[in-house]
This record gives sequence, structure tokens and C-alpha cells, in this order.
Amino acid sequence: MEFSTSIYIKIVVKYVMEQLFAVVIGLLAGVVTGVLPGAGVTVAMIVATPLLLEFDVIQLLLFYMSLASMVQFTGTIPAVYLGIPGETNSLPAVIEGTKFNRRNNGKLAIGISALGSVFGSMIAVLLTVSIVGLLASQISFFFSNNIKFYLYIFVIIFCLYVYNKNNILINAGLCLIGFTLSLPGENNLDTEPRYTFGFEDMQYGIPLISILIGFLVVPTLYRMYTDNYTRQVAKDSSTSFKKVLIYYFRKCLPSSLRGSIIGYICGFVPGVSTVLSTNTSYSTEKHLHPNSPAKMLVASETANNSGQFASMLPLLLIGIPITGSEVVLYSLLVDAGWSPYQFDNVVNNVDMIFKQIVPWFVFANVVGLIVAWPMAKHVLKILNFSKIFVVVILGILMLLLNTYLGLQDYRVIFYTACLIVFGCIGILLKKYETVPLIFMFILGNDIEAVFLRQLIT
Amino acid sequence: MKKIIVLLFALMTTIVHADTITILNNGKAGGSFNARSTMYNDALTLKGYKVKWENIGKISQAVKVFETATEPTMMVYSTNQSNKRGLFNNKDNFVLLEYEQPMHICTRNESIGKSGTITVAHGKGYDPSVLQTLLGKNIVLVPYKNSGAILKGMLGGDVDVMVNNQGKSLKYAASGKGTCTVSERLPMMHATVIAKNVDLAKLRLALKDIVLNDPLFVQYHSTRQLEVINLPREMELEIVQGSEKAWK
Repeated sequence: MEFSTSIYIKIVVKYVMEQLFAVVIGLLAGVVTGVLPGAGVTVAMIVATPLLLEFDVIQLLLFYMSLASMVQFTGTIPAVYLGIPGETNSLPAVIEGTKFNRRNNGKLAIGISALGSVFGSMIAVLLTVSIVGLLASQISFFFSNNIKFYLYIFVIIFCLYVYNKNNILINAGLCLIGFTLSLPGENNLDTEPRYTFGFEDMQYGIPLISILIGFLVVPTLYRMYTDNYTRQVAKDSSTSFKKVLIYYFRKCLPSSLRGSIIGYICGFVPGVSTVLSTNTSYSTEKHLHPNSPAKMLVASETANNSGQFASMLPLLLIGIPITGSEVVLYSLLVDAGWSPYQFDNVVNNVDMIFKQIVPWFVFANVVGLIVAWPMAKHVLKILNFSKIFVVVILGILMLLLNTYLGLQDYRVIFYTACLIVFGCIGILLKKYETVPLIFMFILGNDIEAVFLRQLIT
Repeated sequence: MKKIIVLLFALMTTIVHADTITILNNGKAGGSFNARSTMYNDALTLKGYKVKWENIGKISQAVKVFETATEPTMMVYSTNQSNKRGLFNNKDNFVLLEYEQPMHICTRNESIGKSGTITVAHGKGYDPSVLQTLLGKNIVLVPYKNSGAILKGMLGGDVDVMVNNQGKSLKYAASGKGTCTVSERLPMMHATVIAKNVDLAKLRLALKDIVLNDPLFVQYHSTRQLEVINLPREMELEIVQGSEKAWK
């Protein structure tokens, strides 16, 4: 009996340590990604691919959740202190946060933003608790090809509208390129590989990593290299924690609550998700309290975190990724053997969210609060690294990553050739957001099968 | 004396060689090939084998690697793959027949007794003309990626009937949304293990022991109601080759 108990404890400890490892790596990646202008969650995931390939489903989800949460926290720091949007949703923080900074009150702005972010995350969890039971009981509704067909149409329409300043033609072109690249090799409808043009290596399709590096990382590195930003941090008056807490609870709590709810609802919108959360909440608060930078800042930051949690639910419950980074996560999850549609996993999905994901989500938020508030100025030291140094290191890492995965897949020459071709095209596409291309490349095969079945039935 | 030393050296080399083996994992996590490969990996390691794990994940690529392997190599296989992949169980690579399972035909409760055209979900590897011969002309075939996707489609109400393996069919029947029957006309699927550059007899002995006695294997087979086969090697190979012909 004692023997089996000790084995059980060892297994549990090992399991928890594995999860902690995934969370810690995600948080560290989130700190760097949030602060570095131009770097995003998707790029961070691509850099971490060799590690992520070794992760199981839960570890992957924990890594992603920690990374995405931390990015929302740390993205505010350069926005407030330097006026640089660290991540794409930080624009309201740049506009309102710098007002505080000009009055040497940046620490207050950082503090109330961090508190608002934690509040938003917790409200998102509570809202999920109240709706997830209903969703789970009706989950087989989402198994239908018919529903998936309309969901994909919804996602494609959003892809066409929300990226590249709503330029439908550009987005349609990118979608078409992504879909075309998804066609060669094995597919979901036939065992025979297609469009191989006589190349044996094409049997297994075009490698995802070369597409991701070529079309996402290369343009990002280019932008990081060419972006100019100041590194001067303004002096800050000393603001006690107590003062920040009192300020937040007295002046910002209602705005935080509004931001949480608006952010949560907008988080479900494909493609734009947290960007919509942040900006809608900001606009609402601007309408209600046009002369209160604190309320606008807190509302947008709260919405950011609330929307981040909400955006993961369609993927976790019904297997539809709705943001660019979720598409990459989706492909990794599928490789790790995850399927939200598996009949015996329906209840497990809900169970997984609340027993395994939520406690770590709370933990990640506490760490996020500490990093983005008391340690904010230390975090900014990441920007002390030379821009060229960061770009070169990332570039070398990408080359090594592509080669490593090529060797693993027994197609290293093909991987290298793809990287060169897509890297060159990626530089040409540097002005555009290539997320629609990535969406269609990863989901192309499934979309094709769903549309064909819709036609047949 | 020299001859004895050479003989001893050769014997030792053979032993070392036989105890080192590469397992080609040809399935993705969550699938049966992956589960079986993982269990063989763990069990052979416990038996003292030095196992090298090659995580390939794709059956087509694993077949290519297997065919060109020069080191002791094994992989799990099944008779419904042989014709598609051009790799057949034969006396030079066949290690053992692990289990057999029949294909099932499941019908939704709402579709029982339905007249007119019937929609049938099937795996992408199935030949539509064969299914039409077996199930009649008045059907519309709806292809799915794999057995899991077929089950999802059936649960979502996409189709009236599905042709699926035993594990997924049992799950469907357990949902209470329909009934399943064993198909007597569709060929039986046989799960095997193949290997090369190894002492097949010795490996068979080790793997048979694992299949019959390892708790994980016993549980795997019993939960899926899979019929484990334990016959002399020649008889097992005969069954397997017969099954490959039937799938053709």
C-alpha cells in the first residue's frame, strides 16, 4: 500500500513539474515577446517549436495560455514608458499611458493596468464557468459538417475583411496562395498524394515550418530591424502599492468590469479577437469618460486579458482556431494527438479547462501582475540588447530550426529550398499581414474536405 | 582457438545486435499505431532491449524508412495498409499477428428503415467501388480522413450509416444514438508487427510474451474487444496474407 502511494505521489509530482515547466517557459517567452516591438505570440511559438514538439496536449495549452497572458501584461510596459506598442493591442495603452508618463506617473499607470488585467482574467473565468456547462451539453451540435461549414465561411469572411486595412483583394490573394500551398501531398480525402510534380518529397506536402518562417518570421524580423524607437525611460515619481490599489478600487473598478464583459464578448470574434476587445472597450470608455485617461487605460487593458481567455474557448471546445497564433497552436495540438471532437473527450475538454488550465491561468496572472508592476522597469532592460543582435540571433535560430525539423522529417534539402523561396517571397510581402495565408495553409485541407462533404450531402 | 574466439565474437555481436532495435513510430498521438508502438517501446525497454525511437508519425514515410533501413528495425502494421503502401507481410519481415478486428456498419436510429438514398461515411482509404458493390448502388459515399472523423460526422448527424473499425463503432453504439453490426462482407483487419535486420524468431518470442502478458496490452485489447491471436508463425502469416488479398 505504502509502495503504491509513493509511486502515485511521484507520478503526480512529475506531472505537476511537467506542467510547471511548460508554464514557466511560456511566461519567460511572454515577457520577452511582450516587450520586443514587432514580435508576437505566433513568432514566439515558432521559435519554441522544437520544444513544443516534445510537449503533450496539456503542456501545449499551458505554454500557449501562459505566453499569451504574459504578453498582454508586459506589452503595456513599453507602451506606457516608451510609447512603443509592445504587442498589437497596446495602442490605447500608448495613447493613454504616455499621458501618465509625461506627468512622471508611469508607475501608477502600470499598476492600475496590471490590476485591471488580473481582474479581466478572473471575470473571464467566471463568465466561462457560467456558460461552459451549457456549451458542453450541446457539443455534438458542433460535430456536424454543416455547422463546421458555416463556421469556416464565417472565419474566411473575417480573414478577408480584418487584415491589411480591410483590403479584400489583398486578403483574398493571400488566402488563395495559402490554399494553393496546402494542396500538394497527402490530403483529407484521398490516400494518394497529389500535385507532387514528380518530387518524392512533395508526397508529404509543403513543410509548415518553412511557410511560417518565410511568411511570418522573415517579415517580422525585417520590421524589427527597420523600426525606430526610443529607449529613454522617463523619470518616475515614487508611487506606493497602497496608493495604486486605492486608486484602482476607487476610480477604475466599474470601468474594469465593463472592459471585462466587452472584452470577453469581442474575444470570440475570429481574426480580430483581442484587438477588437481592446479597441471596443477603449472606445466605449472614451465615450463615457472622455477626460479620464485612467479609466480608458484600465478598461482597454482589462478587455485585453478577458478577450484573450475567451478567444481560446472556440479552439478548446469545438476545435476552431480563431486567431493566427491559435492556428499554429492547433497544428501542434493535432500532431500531439488532440481532437476536440473525439466523443469521449467532450466532457474531458470541459474538465481539462477547469481542472488543469484555470489554476495555471490564475498562477500565470499572479506572475504577470508581479512582472508587469513591481518589476516593470527591470523588464524594459530587454530592450538594451542591440536591435541587430536580436535580429541576427533570431535569424540564426530560424535557420537551425528549419534544418533540424527537415532532418527529423528526412527532407532537409526540400525544407531548405522551401525556406529560401518562401523567405524571399516573405520579404516581398513585408508590408502585408500574412495571417490569411497561414490560416488557409493550415486549415486548407480540412476546409476542402468540409466543403466537399457539404456538396455531397 | 582462433576459430573459437571468432565464433564467440560473432555470437556476442549477434546478441548485442539483436538487443538493439529501432522502433519506427508510424502513427500520430491518439491513434492505434502510435499507442501500440509506444507500448512496445516501453515493454521492450523493460525486457532489456536498447530501443531507439524514431518518431515519424506518418505511415507512408515510415514505410519508406523501413524499406531502406540497414539497422535492426521494427514497426507495427496492419493488413488494410499493405496494398496502399506496397509493403506486404512476408516470411522475411513478419514477426507476429497481434489481433484481428472486424469492420462494423453502424446506422443512426433516425435512419433505420429509411427509404431512398442513404449517405454512408467511410475512411479515405476505402475504394468507393468496393463499398458500392457491398452496400448497394443506392448510396452516396461521404469520405472522411480517419475513423475518429467518421465517428464525429456520424454523431453530428451528417450521414445515415458509417463503416468503421471496432473501437469507434463500440463508442458509437455506447452513445445510444444508433446500432452497429459486424460486417460479414467487409474484410477483417489484422494488426501485425514487421521487422528487418533482426532475428525474427527471437523478437517474436519477446513480443508474444509482451502481447499476451503485459498489463497495458491486455487492457488495450480487452477495452476494444480485440481478438488476440496466438498461433504458430506460419499459420499467422497465412491468415495475414489472406487478409491482405481480401483487402485488395
